[in-house]
Amino acid sequence: MEYAVETFSLTKIFSDWWGRDKVYAVDDLNLQVHYNEVFGLLGPNGSGKTTTLKLLLGLLYPTKGKAAVLGGDGSDPKISARIGFLPEESYLYRYLNARETLDFYGRLFGLPPKVRKLRIEALLDMVGLKAVANRPVGTFSKGMARRIGLAQALINDPELLILDEPTTGLDPIGTRQIKDLILELAKRGKTILLSSHLLADVEDVCDRISILYGGKIQAEGQVRELLLQSDKMQITTDTLSDNAIERIKKLIKDEHADCEVISPMEKLETFFIKTVADAQQQEQTTSGAVSTTGISDFLVAKAAKENILDKLVSAPVSRQTAPESGKTKQVVPVETTEPKPDGRLLRELTKPTKPERPKPVTRERKIKTQPVESEVPKPEQIRKSILDRLTDGSSPRNDDSEQTDKSEDKKE
Amino acid sequence: MRSIWAVATNTVKQALRMKIAAVFIVMLIIMLPVMGVSMTGDGTPKGRLQTFVSYGLSLTNLLLCLLTIIITIYTLTSDIKQRQIYTVITKPIRRYQLLFGKLLGVVLLNTALLALFSSIIYLITVYTPKYLKVTESELSRLKSRYSQALDAELSRVGASYSEALEAKLLQGSAYLFKLKTDVLKLEADLNQINNEFFTARAALVPPEVDVTKEVLDAYEKRKRDGQLPPDVRRSKFIDELTKRKQLEKRAAVVGEQLVWEFNNVKVLGPDETLFIRYKYDVSMSPSDSQVYSMWEVGDSRQVPPEVSYFPRKDPVRTFRELEFSSNLIADDGYLSIKFLNVTLNNTTVMFPPDGLEVLYKADTFGVNFIRVVLLILIRLIFLASLSLLASTFLSFPVAILLSLCVLVTAIFSAFCLESFDYLGENLSWFYHYTVRPIISLLPQFDKYSPAKYLVPGRLFSWSLLAKVAGLMIFVKSLLLLLLALLIFRFREIAKIII
Repeated sequence: MEYAVETFSLTKIFSDWWGRDKVYAVDDLNLQVHYNEVFGLLGPNGSGKTTTLKLLLGLLYPTKGKAAVLGGDGSDPKISARIGFLPEESYLYRYLNARETLDFYGRLFGLPPKVRKLRIEALLDMVGLKAVANRPVGTFSKGMARRIGLAQALINDPELLILDEPTTGLDPIGTRQIKDLILELAKRGKTILLSSHLLADVEDVCDRISILYGGKIQAEGQVRELLLQSDKMQITTDTLSDNAIERIKKLIKDEHADCEVISPMEKLETFFIKTVADAQQQEQTTSGAVSTTGISDFLVAKAAKENILDKLVSAPVSRQTAPESGKTKQVVPVETTEPKPDGRLLRELTKPTKPERPKPVTRERKIKTQPVESEVPKPEQIRKSILDRLTDGSSPRNDDSEQTDKSEDKKE
Repeated sequence: MRSIWAVATNTVKQALRMKIAAVFIVMLIIMLPVMGVSMTGDGTPKGRLQTFVSYGLSLTNLLLCLLTIIITIYTLTSDIKQRQIYTVITKPIRRYQLLFGKLLGVVLLNTALLALFSSIIYLITVYTPKYLKVTESELSRLKSRYSQALDAELSRVGASYSEALEAKLLQGSAYLFKLKTDVLKLEADLNQINNEFFTARAALVPPEVDVTKEVLDAYEKRKRDGQLPPDVRRSKFIDELTKRKQLEKRAAVVGEQLVWEFNNVKVLGPDETLFIRYKYDVSMSPSDSQVYSMWEVGDSRQVPPEVSYFPRKDPVRTFRELEFSSNLIADDGYLSIKFLNVTLNNTTVMFPPDGLEVLYKADTFGVNFIRVVLLILIRLIFLASLSLLASTFLSFPVAILLSLCVLVTAIFSAFCLESFDYLGENLSWFYHYTVRPIISLLPQFDKYSPAKYLVPGRLFSWSLLAKVAGLMIFVKSLLLLLLALLIFRFREIAKIII
């Protein structure tokens, strides 16, 4: 019970139709994942990452060796009740809608109906799919399916979360959200084992990593230790005058070291997210799946030593869900509209506008609610959300524009 | 249990939303009423009812069998192929729970569909006599019209009623004559559907007479006399002799009589009608194909015998029925039936092996119908188990093929068994210990078919139903399921073969 996941000379050999050994997918693997650790399995395609995870979960049986998960067998219901698993692709029942999907998995865990209902709503909120919760999963884009897959892995509030390529198919914001979520869960004492070949993602979240190649561990250790260039130093300062730089250079030269002075580059991810967030701030129309920035907020708001979900359940519903519902609803129109040019909106925009006319934010919203295709959620849902917001007064800016809009109309 | 239920409801949703079931449901919902209106059978109300029930139930049965096979196999193989099973099997659910969940879902769906379609068939069947105007109220209406017309005629002639006068009047008035024939026809039709269709009649079949001793004696005698044909095996010769002796027991030369005795005859009520259903074979066909006979029914043990006599004239090689009252049965349930080949014939009269039985009403049509529908449900459960087994180790198309093969052999099991017996004759030892046990493990759908019982209004008893259920569900289906569990338990779900 020292490790959350431990394997002993785990070996998996795939054989051909005649039973001859062909491929050593996992070869004598000894893996230890501590409790409360984010562990990354890295490796190129076909290096045995997914096979290892499948062996842990009992989807495959080892040819040799043994795997212990949470101190037992991963296929034992008592153990698997404490595991959350997200497979490499979201294999979902296409004919179920998002809510039914989560309900089905919740029932497999034997959760009582009341707990199930609350958890489903909270999770839908968290992955930003509440507005499309009644749409068959078969119509979802890859990223949306991924989000449902993640929600399904979290429904039992697992101790150990096994994520196979968690960020594939997600946009940078979704990726960021998952990473934030992973960090948040780790903060609350969960153990997370993930496999990926997207190095940036692993670097951001993992405490320790293993690099697999040919089914064998090639390198293992703390991310920080592995990447630390102990023979180099980096100093970050505010902008300095040329004179000051010259002085510093000289100082360093005296120490017999080389130095290079440049402005540090921002990470593309940070830049991207900032740009999109700006656009969202201005409430520009978008057709892509820009989702809640609310994951971390949601979790932080509920952050506690115990699991958030159960706390959520035990607390009175209205008090707990009210703030979040406001949050998701804000995202509703953006999340659900598909890239479909809205004729009315275009005409509106291309029309020579009067200069004094303020940007009709709420009108745009209304236009978006016109259901052009079936995938757009029911209009009343959105109208209701706007109403809620207006009555809440939580977003006064919209309120203003609504009023100016009306006065404009009167003037015209 | 909760997870089994979750899987079951999901399976039902899958079947309904993937529109597999929809095709079958729409087809049946359209076809059954159309069949009810368009099928006329041999033109009589009874024939019409028989045709509809027979075809309606057979069609429902066949389509539901196919649906069961397709849904069961689809639900498991698609889960494995599209890998939804990865997320299911890694949840706290045991593999047997997954299989039972799937099975439960399929059985529930089938039960619901079967209940729906059989109620449609039942309602149409019960409504058909009203639609055809073959009812008691219609009969009394016709009768009163006839008596009014007759009264009018009588008052016109100015005489009081007598049978001779009625006959005379009938000859004189075409209208009256038509009314009378209508009444008689309706009466006959009504009798026919009530006695031979809307009923559940049990049959008493006289046991085959034991002729072993006689046959062996005859064989020994021939052997002693040296009359045995040299190139015939003993067993074959004895078979031949047995057949001949048994036929002798069922044959009556002119002037001779045949006697059948039954014990423990029990009927529903005190004044029921019983039927002797019989068919003649003759050694030499009479010119008009008719056989004259005298039947004697009752308790012949008494002195004098308490019996009734029924003189009859019947065509050969057709089933006929002779009605008699249950009062003729002795208090202890004894009944004797005698057939006399009267001298009017000049041919030997024989009864074929199934040529005589005594029928009596043992239950109502409705209850019998329910039991027959349950028989279909038993088949569906068996097929679901079979398909589940097939899909634990085969892919969708192969599993479908296998299950369909079993379905076809089950439908034509008598033919299959016979032809295998014939083919296996030459390799008897090998055949008897290998192929035959496997074949006889297959279900025999044609042995107990729904139409076989409902069309002639025969009783399909609870005990027979229990017997079939015991064999099909608790032996065969359970074996299949155990095998399926064993295979699925050890199957590597994510296995790859390179």
